Amino acid sequence: MNRLDAIRRIVPLLGDAAVVSNLGRNTYDLYEAADRPENFYMWGAMGSTSSVGLGIAMAQPGRRVVVLDGDGSMLMSLGCLATVAAYRPANLTLVVLDNETYETTGGQATHSGRCADLEAIARGAGLAHTATVATVDEFAAALGRALRDPGPWFILAKVEQATSFARVPRRPIYIKDRFMAALGTVTG
Amino acid sequence: MAKTRAGSAGTEVSLHRWSTLAADVLLEHRVHMIGYVPDEVSGHLLRRLEAEPACTVVCCTREEEAVATVAGAYLGGTRGAVVLQTSGIGNSMNALGSFVVPYQIPMLLIVSERGGLGEFNPAQVPLGHAVPRVLDALGVQTFSVTSEAEMSPVLSGAAELAFATMMPVAVVLTTRLTGGKTLR
Repeated sequence: MNRLDAIRRIVPLLGDAAVVSNLGRNTYDLYEAADRPENFYMWGAMGSTSSVGLGIAMAQPGRRVVVLDGDGSMLMSLGCLATVAAYRPANLTLVVLDNETYETTGGQATHSGRCADLEAIARGAGLAHTATVATVDEFAAALGRALRDPGPWFILAKVEQATSFARVPRRPIYIKDRFMAALGTVTG
Repeated sequence: MAKTRAGSAGTEVSLHRWSTLAADVLLEHRVHMIGYVPDEVSGHLLRRLEAEPACTVVCCTREEEAVATVAGAYLGGTRGAVVLQTSGIGNSMNALGSFVVPYQIPMLLIVSERGGLGEFNPAQVPLGHAVPRVLDALGVQTFSVTSEAEMSPVLSGAAELAFATMMPVAVVLTTRLTGGKTLR
């Protein structure tokens, strides 16, 4: 499936869910599909995206939180899957948009295309609710269920390599302030 | 009677007293999300915070993960601290340098010192010694606590600094305060 098509398809399902996007293409395509104040765009910290989502989910148990992580980023920090499984935030959905490449750095292959099954790794880490999806319809169905039923959920979405570029604001403090205002968490 | 043992720097230290003082300061400043990687020195502090209903204490597999989780909690409206060893600062560099600092996400880094007075492990020395300068290079201020009397004012001041100015601030729990780690 095409990543931008996939994200466009799930936007209507999101409601007021907080969405954290991994640096690079996921951030670009989320912005392109729907720039919304509940989006938190990462510009750095590859490998930390899912953990940021875990923190938001634990602090905001009444709100759904969706992470759009990448295969390269997830492979960098597999331990966070065990942490998510240990604390089981019911409102958290981890999506890995897996194009089997480090696309932003030039399309080099990741191990998810060679040998590593990230859904099996997530299950092995202790996550009970997992899925692998290969089409936009399957993705929308899996995410719809994840936004409705208690999680945490792990969805591995196999996507094509696709160059994209959106002019996402490279203004970290603006991104943070807008996100926190949308969540009602600005203090001081 | 408080449990004591010989400190690395030759002083008798209370394992519980400074931990209780630190926990009280964190609670006063509404620091309610704690991410950590387990460590002997910080054990009592963590147990004290786990017993507090307002606190969420998350055991992470890597310190970088703890930094990111605590940062996420701040975005979600909960102030936090990461409890780690100096070696864990090394594991946290990318999350700090390419996320927490540029996005100005405040947090406390409560760092138990390795590589200084009383250290027995040569592998702990280079990074432990470098931590204040490494953090300084990122623009992160570091303050040391060398005695029980300094615990509350230093940690309280660090919390004020961090959350008022939107920056991470590190507080090093020196071996003079904690007695350091046991060789085992």
